[in-house]
Amino acid sequence: MPKFHLSLTVNGEARELLIDPRRTLLDVLRDELDLRGAHRGCDSGDCGACTVLLDGKPITSCMILAADCDGSTVTTVEGITPAGGLHPVQKALVEKGGIQCGFCTPGMVMAAIGLLNENPNPTEHDVREGLAGNLCRCTGYKKIVEAVLSVEESKA
Amino acid sequence: MQPFDYFSPKTLPEAVEILSRHNGDARVVAGGTDLLLKMKGGRLAPKAIVNIKRLAELRGISETSNSKLQTPNYHLPITTIGALTTLEELRRSPIIRERYPSLCDAANTMASVQIRNLATVGGNMCNAAPSADLAPIFIALDASAVIAGPGGERRVPLEEFFVGPGKTVLESGELLASLEAPPPVGPSLYLKHSPRAHMDIAVVGVGLAAQLSGGVCESARIVLGAVAPVPLRVRRAEAELIGGPFSAERIDRAAKIAAEEAQPIDDVRGAVWYRRKMVEVLVRRGLTAIGGIEN
Amino acid sequence: MIGQRIPKLDAPDKATGRTVYGHDVRLPGMLHGRIKYSKHAHARVVRVDVSRALKLPGVKTIVTADDNPPTMFGYGKDNTPLKGQVVRSLRDEVAAVAAVDADTAEEALSLIEVEYEPLTAVFTPEEALKEGAPLIHAEHGSNYFTRYRYSHGTLEAGERESDVTVEADFELPYVAHAAMETSVVVAAFDHRGHLTLYSTTQIPFLLQRDLSEALGMEGSEIRIIQTAIGGAFGRGLDIYPFEPIAALLARKAGKPVRISFSRYEEFLAAPVRQPAKVHVRAGATREGMITFRDAYALLDIGAYVSWGSVTPLVMMETTASLYRIPHSRFAADCVYTNNPITGAVRGYGNPQSTFFVETMMDRLAVALDMDPVDFRVRNANRPNEETPQGLIITSCGLKECLEAVAARADTARQKDEGKTMKDRPHPSSFIPHPSKKRGIGFAATLNVGGGARIYRSDGCGATVKVDDFGHVSLVTGSTEIGQGSETVLAQIVAEVLGVNVEDVNVLNSDTDVKPWDVGVHASRTTFIAGNAAHIAALDARRQLFETAAEMLKTTPDDLIAKDGHVVAKVSGKSAELGKVARARHYREGGQVILGEGWYDPPTKLVDKDTYKGNISATYGFGAQMAEVEVDTDTGKVRVLRLVCANDVGRAINPMAVEGQIEGGAQMGLGYALTEEVIVEKGRVMNPDFLDYRLFTTADMPEIETVIIETDDPQGPFGAKGVGEMGGTPTAAAIANAIHDAVGVWMTTVPMTPERVLKALMEKENL
Repeated sequence: MPKFHLSLTVNGEARELLIDPRRTLLDVLRDELDLRGAHRGCDSGDCGACTVLLDGKPITSCMILAADCDGSTVTTVEGITPAGGLHPVQKALVEKGGIQCGFCTPGMVMAAIGLLNENPNPTEHDVREGLAGNLCRCTGYKKIVEAVLSVEESKA
Repeated sequence: MQPFDYFSPKTLPEAVEILSRHNGDARVVAGGTDLLLKMKGGRLAPKAIVNIKRLAELRGISETSNSKLQTPNYHLPITTIGALTTLEELRRSPIIRERYPSLCDAANTMASVQIRNLATVGGNMCNAAPSADLAPIFIALDASAVIAGPGGERRVPLEEFFVGPGKTVLESGELLASLEAPPPVGPSLYLKHSPRAHMDIAVVGVGLAAQLSGGVCESARIVLGAVAPVPLRVRRAEAELIGGPFSAERIDRAAKIAAEEAQPIDDVRGAVWYRRKMVEVLVRRGLTAIGGIEN
Repeated sequence: MIGQRIPKLDAPDKATGRTVYGHDVRLPGMLHGRIKYSKHAHARVVRVDVSRALKLPGVKTIVTADDNPPTMFGYGKDNTPLKGQVVRSLRDEVAAVAAVDADTAEEALSLIEVEYEPLTAVFTPEEALKEGAPLIHAEHGSNYFTRYRYSHGTLEAGERESDVTVEADFELPYVAHAAMETSVVVAAFDHRGHLTLYSTTQIPFLLQRDLSEALGMEGSEIRIIQTAIGGAFGRGLDIYPFEPIAALLARKAGKPVRISFSRYEEFLAAPVRQPAKVHVRAGATREGMITFRDAYALLDIGAYVSWGSVTPLVMMETTASLYRIPHSRFAADCVYTNNPITGAVRGYGNPQSTFFVETMMDRLAVALDMDPVDFRVRNANRPNEETPQGLIITSCGLKECLEAVAARADTARQKDEGKTMKDRPHPSSFIPHPSKKRGIGFAATLNVGGGARIYRSDGCGATVKVDDFGHVSLVTGSTEIGQGSETVLAQIVAEVLGVNVEDVNVLNSDTDVKPWDVGVHASRTTFIAGNAAHIAALDARRQLFETAAEMLKTTPDDLIAKDGHVVAKVSGKSAELGKVARARHYREGGQVILGEGWYDPPTKLVDKDTYKGNISATYGFGAQMAEVEVDTDTGKVRVLRLVCANDVGRAINPMAVEGQIEGGAQMGLGYALTEEVIVEKGRVMNPDFLDYRLFTTADMPEIETVIIETDDPQGPFGAKGVGEMGGTPTAAAIANAIHDAVGVWMTTVPMTPERVLKALMEKENL
């Protein structure tokens, strides 16, 4: 099987890779690019732990072949984290208690950022809808929703 | 996952050529959310994957003036929905929202925003799951499938597009280019019964469209999802409504007939009796809402 | 420090993707391990041929039952890493491959040929107990694994004293932990042949011992390093075959091996909550006093024994000791079948028993025509009493919890229809319909709050070091599984030493470093590890004060620790912690500041014949109120509001306490309404998150938590455990609310639309 020549812009950096066409975007991020913030919770698009932004939109990176992303721009949790600090969404999740085991957190962060990019002033309903694809088994979501809503408040 | 050859054609003729060459062993990937799931689970092992996302002619939602169709509202345009339109694009499209809000409702019940940003309208059709949420409502809206292939373009009423679970009328070398929806004839609605608000496959889905005039039902289309091998139009139930007053009694009879016409199976998502019952409930509720009938 | 809403210390790394979970571990030369599972639920293994698979390029080694050590392992000593003679379930491991990548390992599995001779399989405990049923473990002699028989008082007297009695049968399903991180292990051997295992276990020290049996090694040759754990909920309370299999592969290949489960494999092969069929009778007097409670439970424990077989101890506790019960009997039989292995899941038998006990309470209240909350309060356990079962209840806020949720229920009743209706995405729910009926329901819970002695030691060790820079390190035997133990323990130490919580480093992940602990379970960490950390911190402070007294020319009892300093109360003079540490260190006969703590609570193992005894040093209590809307056309139940009150002794970190309760509620809601591992003929029919339905953000009701503080006399700063209680009463509260709304008693969970509609139709037909 011939390798596929993949060009991606990941977190602002142009990357050229030779990959097995079977690899998903998540495989490439974790195993080829050493970006392990995106987590594999189900590998079937049902849990959202692998959420990244593809050309600015939140997607489950386990459900797309990396080859299909050729020429695209990918942003992962590593890409939105400022050096030595936290993105407002990360900060809110930390401070409001929206993180327990943390396995879902990077995906939750990226889904929330995707949501806020589209809708900077979401209602609670918007947040609950927008994060419905991100399962969390620890928190009951209440503090996560509060955290995302507080980001909106602090911006306003 | 089995190895495969990967193609990323830039033009429609190129895509058709690759598909024809593989004679049924190639699979089209657009959003990929259904295809990848089947490949990861070992239920599908195509020799070649043809990524069609670079085909500009399959993108976008557009309107063309309606010169041929002699339907009600013929002054309104026909809407063409490119096969590559993502579910999220469909849901947010101002045209769709204004003219076919029931399509937005259907898209809104589907999966998560992350999946809706990947999954396409064409993929939802071509995957041909009996439970596909968009199929019943598109059929209720009398949409057609525009198919591109080696012999050029052909049109098939969407109602005739599905052949069985995972099977469509697409022949080797063909691909779905777009869906065409005629101007709406009246109110329409998609109702879905599932345990959760999102992320669930429909236990039962119901697409409804009706043309009402002075309390009389001029036409009605009732299409059921997840209760037959293909999205199912229940014509006896429709006939019960057409030509008479859109009354609670007739709606009730139509709902019961629709339940009889359904051909559900037992699986982990629902028993036969329950699915039939939900067909009745959703059809009754949907028609009642369409008719604006007080309960 | 105590009582503050301090964000979790590990949260920033988790938020930024820096945290290293098991799936993130990469060791040089590491191979990918994959397991080949049985094709049959019960069969004789005739032949396993790995020759074709071994020839596949990239395959480094394959293990089969021939590689097993001669010992058996597991709670019932009935398991081996790989199965050679007989397979007893579809999750039985027949062979395993280590290869250079996952694709190669997967392909190799398909090249392993296994010939089976199918045997008759049994898929229900009833079938397994029939005369002539095939024996799952021939050497055990019977398909009964254990039988529990408990009683206090006399049932005859209880029946005689009753004015009303109620009786019902319950059926409870398989449930999955569904931690977001799937099971994963990395095994590596060093030049001495010693094993290092990177693991998500909750019981590192017991796992050392269990692995030594499974691998035929000494416990001292095994080091467990716990990676960050992406949720556990009881899954990590036992050894499971994939762990020794990874070690066998690594030893044979001479390279590190990782086995990471796919989600499908997680549903197929990880333990589940044991299903149970339960018959219950209960009675009360006209005045509303409970007279007796009698329950019999038949439990399917699956093909091998794990902790699922011990859950009757907890079911027994709820049956015999939740409320004052003059006469009680509880019996349970745990039976082998060819079904999945059952293990410990958060609450450990208590969600099941609370469902039947608390719905029976409402049946009694209805029979007595009494308010369900009044009935409960009248019978509530009180502080400082010993139950007939021998539970010594010290602090007890059951009454306060019930009253707290009842007070908030009144407002629920007054709210007009539209107001609590949240906008829902489903168009079907936009349509107002008279078929939607509302109701409210209550349920309470009793749970161990200070450990549960099910092992000879229920202890935990800790050390507290203050270094030359005044920085504090707590080394604790306990384990962080996301619940926030690191932060709560750091708060305890920081409080004692007068430092900021950020100045306390918590080390808790390496058996070569940390002192012994029985594991993270039974809502025990805050209480037991908290007491151990408290003792160690006090010891370190004593050492600091000893030296500081010399430096500040005063006596230790004049000293306090505050703001990173030791301060003399009388003179006001102070010395910074690092300076005190250096003074003690850099002198003739110098010493370092190193405090030690060990805490094993004053409890006992239950008596092996009567099952009586005080298993925990304290007990936690809680109550919930659920407000539901039942769609009588579809049977769909929507929870509009859930109010949870819990007696936690004292909330060391209220935000973390709320997190435990809110998260528990998510599991409880799923247990009540949507979650079930559907098993047909031993096969899991819904092995994914599409059909194993966790509540999402969009499904969650409004949750309100109320913290009741009772200041436990033995808890660290008065605290007791809360880890399990959040989801325990939820299903019962919802079932009771459904009854309030539409008049049917649900006796099974999850209360799916189909089941509720069926119950409604049966009621109509009566």
